[in-house]
Amino acid sequence: MTSTAKLYAAAPTQRRARAKTDTVQLAIACVLIILSGLIPDLAGNDYWTLSFQLVNLFIAVAALQNLLMHDAGQTSFGQGAIFGVSAYCASVVASTYGLPYWQAACCGVLAAVLAGFLYALPSLRVQGYYLGFVTMSAATVFPEMLVAANRYTNGINGITLNFSALHERTALGVSPMTLMVCGIACAVLAAHVLLRRTALGRRLRVAAISPEAAQSLGVSPGLMRCLAFLIVAFGTGIVGTLYTPVVGFISPAAFHIDASILFFLAVIVGGRGHILGTVVGVWVLYLLPNILLAELAQYRLLVYGAVALVVMLLMPDGIVGTFERWRLRRRTSQPLQSVGLERLLEFHRGPGAAGEKPGAVTGNAIDVRAATKRYGSVSALDSVDLTVRNNHIHGLVGANGSGKTTLLNMLSGFSRLDSGSVRVAGQEVRSMPAHRIARLGLGRTFQKPRIFSTMSLWENVEIGIDAAHKHTHPACLLAALRQAMEEGNVELVPHGQRRLVELMRVVLKGSDIILLDEPAAGLSPSEREQFKKLLCRLRDELGKTIVLVEHDLELVWGIADTITVLEAGKMVAHGSAAEIVDNPFVRKLFIEPTHA
Amino acid sequence: MLEIQQLCSGYGNVPVLRDVDLSVKPGEILLVVGENGAGKSTLLRTIGGFIKPERGSIRLDGKEIGGMSPEAIARDGLRLVLDGHRVFPDITVWDNLRLGAVVRKDRKGFDAAVDEVFEVFPILKERLRQPARSLSGGQQQMLALGQAFVAQPRILLSDEPSLGLAQSLLPPILNFLRRWAQSGTAIVIVEQHIDIALSVADRAMVVERGAIKLSCAARDLKAHLRREAQNLSPV
Amino acid sequence: MFDELAIVVIRGIGLGAIFALIAMSMNVVYGATHILNFAQGNMFVLGGFVAVAATPAGQNLSLWLVLVPVAALVLALVVALQGWITLIPLRHSVEQNSWLITTMAVSIMISATLLLVQGPWAATARSPIPPLTMFGVRTPGPYLALMALAIFWFFALRWFLQRTLVGLAVSALSQDLEAARAAGLKVRQLQLLAFAISGLVVGSAGFVAAPLMSISADTGIRYVLNGFVAAVIGGMGSNVGAMVGGALVGVVSMLAIYFVGGEYQGLVSLLLLVGMLLIRPEGLFGQASARRV
Repeated sequence: MTSTAKLYAAAPTQRRARAKTDTVQLAIACVLIILSGLIPDLAGNDYWTLSFQLVNLFIAVAALQNLLMHDAGQTSFGQGAIFGVSAYCASVVASTYGLPYWQAACCGVLAAVLAGFLYALPSLRVQGYYLGFVTMSAATVFPEMLVAANRYTNGINGITLNFSALHERTALGVSPMTLMVCGIACAVLAAHVLLRRTALGRRLRVAAISPEAAQSLGVSPGLMRCLAFLIVAFGTGIVGTLYTPVVGFISPAAFHIDASILFFLAVIVGGRGHILGTVVGVWVLYLLPNILLAELAQYRLLVYGAVALVVMLLMPDGIVGTFERWRLRRRTSQPLQSVGLERLLEFHRGPGAAGEKPGAVTGNAIDVRAATKRYGSVSALDSVDLTVRNNHIHGLVGANGSGKTTLLNMLSGFSRLDSGSVRVAGQEVRSMPAHRIARLGLGRTFQKPRIFSTMSLWENVEIGIDAAHKHTHPACLLAALRQAMEEGNVELVPHGQRRLVELMRVVLKGSDIILLDEPAAGLSPSEREQFKKLLCRLRDELGKTIVLVEHDLELVWGIADTITVLEAGKMVAHGSAAEIVDNPFVRKLFIEPTHA
Repeated sequence: MLEIQQLCSGYGNVPVLRDVDLSVKPGEILLVVGENGAGKSTLLRTIGGFIKPERGSIRLDGKEIGGMSPEAIARDGLRLVLDGHRVFPDITVWDNLRLGAVVRKDRKGFDAAVDEVFEVFPILKERLRQPARSLSGGQQQMLALGQAFVAQPRILLSDEPSLGLAQSLLPPILNFLRRWAQSGTAIVIVEQHIDIALSVADRAMVVERGAIKLSCAARDLKAHLRREAQNLSPV
Repeated sequence: MFDELAIVVIRGIGLGAIFALIAMSMNVVYGATHILNFAQGNMFVLGGFVAVAATPAGQNLSLWLVLVPVAALVLALVVALQGWITLIPLRHSVEQNSWLITTMAVSIMISATLLLVQGPWAATARSPIPPLTMFGVRTPGPYLALMALAIFWFFALRWFLQRTLVGLAVSALSQDLEAARAAGLKVRQLQLLAFAISGLVVGSAGFVAAPLMSISADTGIRYVLNGFVAAVIGGMGSNVGAMVGGALVGVVSMLAIYFVGGEYQGLVSLLLLVGMLLIRPEGLFGQASARRV
């Protein structure tokens, strides 16, 4: 028992109390928002009170755009239209139908979510600047449609609503309006920070950075995109309902495409992905020209464009982004000694192991029959059969173009067969999407380790835990691992360790079948030796089934129970390492690597 | 002429080449072999300027070219012919050749070089006015080499010239390279078909897991490899 | 009824010629750099502004003809300058999205400058070309001039990109950038040239189209979006596609303007865009390596 106790005890490192960047930025941002909202109100200056209320509304919308753009990876140049849809819908319902404003606001939010859904649809087909242009077209059309529907919207004359009660200063010296707006802006930023810490937030980010990694963890990238648009539209909708109360008047001119472009530029100029970035971006692009050029209003637009241009040329990461990079560079980080995979394996070997050994499972892990895939006139796979038994290490070798990567992609669902059948864990997966196959208990690693530098080292592992459907690892073990890895700087992790982090993620996911795509690439000879031992332990102690696509024949022959050799899409040898070593195709591979 | 010392490079965070030393003399043909993933293409791409080396030096006649852009390196006289018979598909054979020669300014030199190319690869002369996409893979490879030839580089790097080609097309290509070397160009070939390539190479080098495992005269290579395979054979 | 339709279709093709010209200019830059120049719409408006500034040309046909290449050259310089600025951050990295911001920022600055120079009012220019009767339909001069200009540029670009060595080099960048670099082509300079050529196209187009435009700070966006739609429908990078896409967008837009209302042109354009992206993202003539998911 002492050994187990030692396992779970925290490593005795000197832990510097380092607050997370997000939290610090959130605190600074909230302080700025609250101060900028309260001070003009307390001072009794109506012009600046209104201006800062508007600025804080814009910050909220830009913050949501930040979430959409950075965390979810979606390019939208049309968030102003969603803002406007909500504001207009609420105003029209309130003025035409006379409903109390809070009910009208609900209609507004509903309309915004609907608009968000309309944006989500093209995102399933196109990404990047194509999606940006689609949303921009929509946002350009929006004010035109408002004018065209003047029977409901009163066209360019706009709608006036009276909210003067909210603008009266209370005994505290500030108006309820100011408090509400500051509150909303801070709430949006806080929600963003909180979302990042949830499993959903992590899934969004993985889906944005690497759709394949997301799929291999059982997450559907398309669903994540839709969710992102809907969540952001919901938030933007809520913020939008405050527009008319703040200004007292709404007209199509307020939702010109310029507004959408402003939100987009504010995010980038401030520093995409940074919580404080939106505050800085909106202040620099909107507030600064308005303040500095209060007398010279006609130059505002020019200055705004010039500032955006200059900032992008000098600081492509944005203002806050560049500052953060500079700050991180100055901080000295120790490279991680070990990523704790050992600790994880110790747990499974130790008496505390919950017995996660499906060694007695009957049936084969993988059964492929007559798999065929053609690309034009070339047969990538030609009637290939493959049987991978449970609790085995199965090697898959062959020259470039032999079809092994195609086969691996078939197994994990990233490619479809033309004919034949593929059974994983007893289920036919031929037409199953990759993320559903992953949920059957299949995990895979990629040739280039999918380790994301925009997430912390622990988060890179945590997404594996998020993907597990049974919780087989006790909380104290996870806490211990987390503590060991928390200090790690992803950029400094050497390649060999990245490979292990990816493997750790797959193990924590609880995958029974692990597909490894050229895992030894880039490993030094000593790292390869360690890796061989590691794979054997995964098979023996954790009962995993491993399929190994590799070029390093020595490695494969050293640990594989069964080996399949492919050449030109056909299976040319299959059997144990000793059985097939005299096969002529195998001999060719060893002596003279030929092109398939 | 080409001196490489302690070269380390890779993709992103994946280290591929470790402390590679290499040198080629004018008129020499060096054959680089190794299994897939060993780092051969990475080596050529690093020398050619497509990958920035992490450490080490690459000297062309004494001038350090490590870290320069591919265009600049080509203008200095080192030409990389990429793998996969890459030519400009929508441009005619003739114009492909013309584009190859933009790094050199002299017209007469171009005419003479083109004539040589046509002598070795008459099919290119036949299909002069056709777009390159209408050529077969092997013919495109010939065109790619011809395009490099008219630039009259001092050093040629050829990445897997036989990739995807029928065996019968290799001898004329390799003989062309032999002739080319005889005129003073240093040539480095990365190849998988050792047998045929060995016949024109002077020296050979085996790359394994990013490091040079073996360097010897071309005629000794097979013997060395056989010995290695015997040591390696399991059971 | 048929007469009305004929009027609309012919004017639609004329309008479509504008979109085709903008799309072709975007194609040149896109091919060489994979950048979509967002400022192209405002560059087009600037071309029109040259016509406004040179008012006497509105009466004098020969002066007007001389000024077309002048406008083209002026814009060539401006766009080349913009291109140089846009390419600066890309010098050390290939895959970056800074160009989205820098092209947008330049577009904003041009809008701002127009606002400063002529205020929020729209300016127009006169055309010295008399109306012509084609197919029994009396069509204002500018429409026909634009069609002629689009055809001219289509063939001129084709000749340049396929017959001149420099043009072939520019074209090579869009076919295989790595091979071009390995061959020693001066990539940066060729890319700047691509920007300059796009300026020629868009500058002459703006100058000729001036009588049809309301030249103000707001119009640039409409043109760049419509140009983008035309390019996407035809297939990004294909000039044949640009011509067909432009004509399609132009005719459909004109039909919408005449029979439903001018304020619906943007909506129609958007629906065409979304429709094409859902059905065939690579466009009518494009290769299937469009910006997909």
